[in-house]
Amino acid sequence: MRRKRRFGIATTLTGALAISAAVASSASAHKATAASSSLKGTTINVAIAYPAPKADLAQFTKQTGIKVNWNYVQWDSLQTKIAAAAQAHSYFADVTDVDWSKVGEYYATKWFQPLNKYFPLASVRAQYPQAPAFIRKGQLLGMPMDGSLLVTTMNEKYLHAAGVKRNPTTLTQYEADLKAIAAKTSAKNPLDIPFAAAEGLSTYWYEMTAAFGGNVLSANYKPLFTSPSSPGYKAMAWMINAYKTGLVPKANLNMQDYQALETDQAHGVTASVFSDYSGDVGTIYNVPSQSKVVGQVSYIPTPGAKGVGANLGNPDGIGIPTTAKHVAAALVFMKWMEQPANQAAFAGAKGSKYVIPTFPLPSNRGGLADLVKSHKVPGAATLQALLEHHAKPIFPAGAPPWYAQFSNAVYTNIHQAASGSESVGAAISAIAQQVKSLGG
Amino acid sequence: MSALSRLPGRTNQNRSQTIRRGAAETALPYAMVAPLLVFIGALALYPTIKTAYAAFVHDNALVPPTHFAGFSNFQDVFNNAQVRASLLNTGIYVVFGVVLSVGLGILFGLLLQRRFRGRGIVLALMVLPWALPGVVEGVIWSWIYDPTFGVLNATLKTAGVIHNYQLWLGTHQLETIFFISLVQVWQITPLAAILVLASLQSIPSELYEAADVDGANGWHAIKRITLPLIRPGIAIAVVEGLVMSLNIFDQVYVLNAGASTGSSLMSETYQITFGNLNFGDGYALSLMATVTTIALSLLAVKIIYRKVEY
Repeated sequence: MRRKRRFGIATTLTGALAISAAVASSASAHKATAASSSLKGTTINVAIAYPAPKADLAQFTKQTGIKVNWNYVQWDSLQTKIAAAAQAHSYFADVTDVDWSKVGEYYATKWFQPLNKYFPLASVRAQYPQAPAFIRKGQLLGMPMDGSLLVTTMNEKYLHAAGVKRNPTTLTQYEADLKAIAAKTSAKNPLDIPFAAAEGLSTYWYEMTAAFGGNVLSANYKPLFTSPSSPGYKAMAWMINAYKTGLVPKANLNMQDYQALETDQAHGVTASVFSDYSGDVGTIYNVPSQSKVVGQVSYIPTPGAKGVGANLGNPDGIGIPTTAKHVAAALVFMKWMEQPANQAAFAGAKGSKYVIPTFPLPSNRGGLADLVKSHKVPGAATLQALLEHHAKPIFPAGAPPWYAQFSNAVYTNIHQAASGSESVGAAISAIAQQVKSLGG
Repeated sequence: MSALSRLPGRTNQNRSQTIRRGAAETALPYAMVAPLLVFIGALALYPTIKTAYAAFVHDNALVPPTHFAGFSNFQDVFNNAQVRASLLNTGIYVVFGVVLSVGLGILFGLLLQRRFRGRGIVLALMVLPWALPGVVEGVIWSWIYDPTFGVLNATLKTAGVIHNYQLWLGTHQLETIFFISLVQVWQITPLAAILVLASLQSIPSELYEAADVDGANGWHAIKRITLPLIRPGIAIAVVEGLVMSLNIFDQVYVLNAGASTGSSLMSETYQITFGNLNFGDGYALSLMATVTTIALSLLAVKIIYRKVEY
């Protein structure tokens, strides 16, 4: 309730701030293009976990004279490269990925340059719904590059075949609908949860915890999930029970998130992903070459314990490592990446030629509005509504510096609970113990 | 006169030319090996020395500053329950990996020694798994092991060995390690077989003929002639199996992700180094892996590698 009111105030404030931000943004964009005349011929190295948008980059080079050597590196591998380069104090890239989960770590290690003097915090907060995830103690360590959210997807065809007329809005209803789907359709194990011991399992639990009405850690990083009546405990118990009772396919014990989405949900093996990624309808389920459920899957408001639940932010950002060589050119590039028209184009507003494959959602409100107006991406309006009204960060105080170790404890123990080698209570205790040992 | 007078000078010249040529000939092998030595020195020796030193330094990006720490990194890793579990798992990977790859390598080597039609094609196909990256193999085998549509389940069910499709990975420690290890065995067995085959082909046929004359049967010939004479090949195959299974990572990462049921020393080193950003502990684990690999390899060579002459 308090959160809802805060969002209400935030929405009113953002209306006023957005105007000044838009002015600031256009002024800075103009300044960036003007500055680029002295940067003509500069080549910057960019390392991002998305494939290159070649047509967009050609336009950027034409406008600014800056050449972009875009290196597409898989997310996990990219994080390793960032750490290895930073540890060796060697040049790696001028612009690279700053994931929300790494912000606490980068604040502690000082591997990335604070961006406050280039991107005023007030306008960033106003334009970007997920900006807080990239700000740590007043330092802006990355600019949101996408607006990825954890959302629920549902195969409507299965839902209707099961005789359900309306999308579920509560967890009780959701579970009952899944059971109906299992009983009346070919999706005998209709819920997709990737139980492999990997990051996707951790985020699934966070989203489930949010749906039960809570957070996993407090603002000062204390565990909030140890009591059996806590949302975190209930969420884990719900997930494990879903696996043990057959709502989730048996094979999912060793499936990572992308495997589960591409193998199960995109092939109609499952009917719903409770914690899916915004953008997957357009980039996976509606792509005929990789999907058997084209036109069947929709984003639905996430069912919660007492009505519609929250959608947690899962954004990737971009930042400038302290070892970058071409900071001025990198800034021009970042400002170009952040322009609402480009953000909308990356998500599909200008057609497939300008798309960044698998790009989930524009990071800023302007880009999101342009995307919705284009009517080219299915579910964009729903996602916009979810982002504006139901989004919240995974950690209210931002990701802790020891997030990687915390997440490791989370996914290892949930996986073990699903495999039957430990109970939910033991898994919860082990995670809480790890938080304590990390200083939480 | 002039010719005579020049003779001693010419002799001296010839001598110095001979000396120069001799020196050049002596230097030539060193010059030819030098690039390789520089290469090994820069890419193996130097990093090893740096790692060895760094293993004794506290170097945690989240807990600065960096300082010399003696054996505390080693203490840290041994106090870590996940590391201890991964050490045990790695021991099991080594047992499965070495025994199966060398055993199958000897078997395939013996089979391939016989001349048969299409032998060349079989040999070429056999090398394929060796040439594939570990990650690709992991993905292929994840389909084979799939509990919903995997070939392994289908085959075993058709043969009546199982009644229901099974989950092969993630539930039981030994079973998980065995099935992950099998993927690596599939990768390294071809090289073991080729090493054994090379040794087999160097055995003179006269020895078998003599054994035949002496009334030895097939098994006796294998036991008394073949196995002793292929020991050098087996030794190298054992070292290869040891190195690969002690450093198993890709297959674990793809098939078992970060689960502790099948975690290996290398997967734990990766997590500690790049997940926890505790580089000092990561270096300590790497050093331990390097020393263990070298020690076990030398031991294997000492025990197995023995030249036998008849």
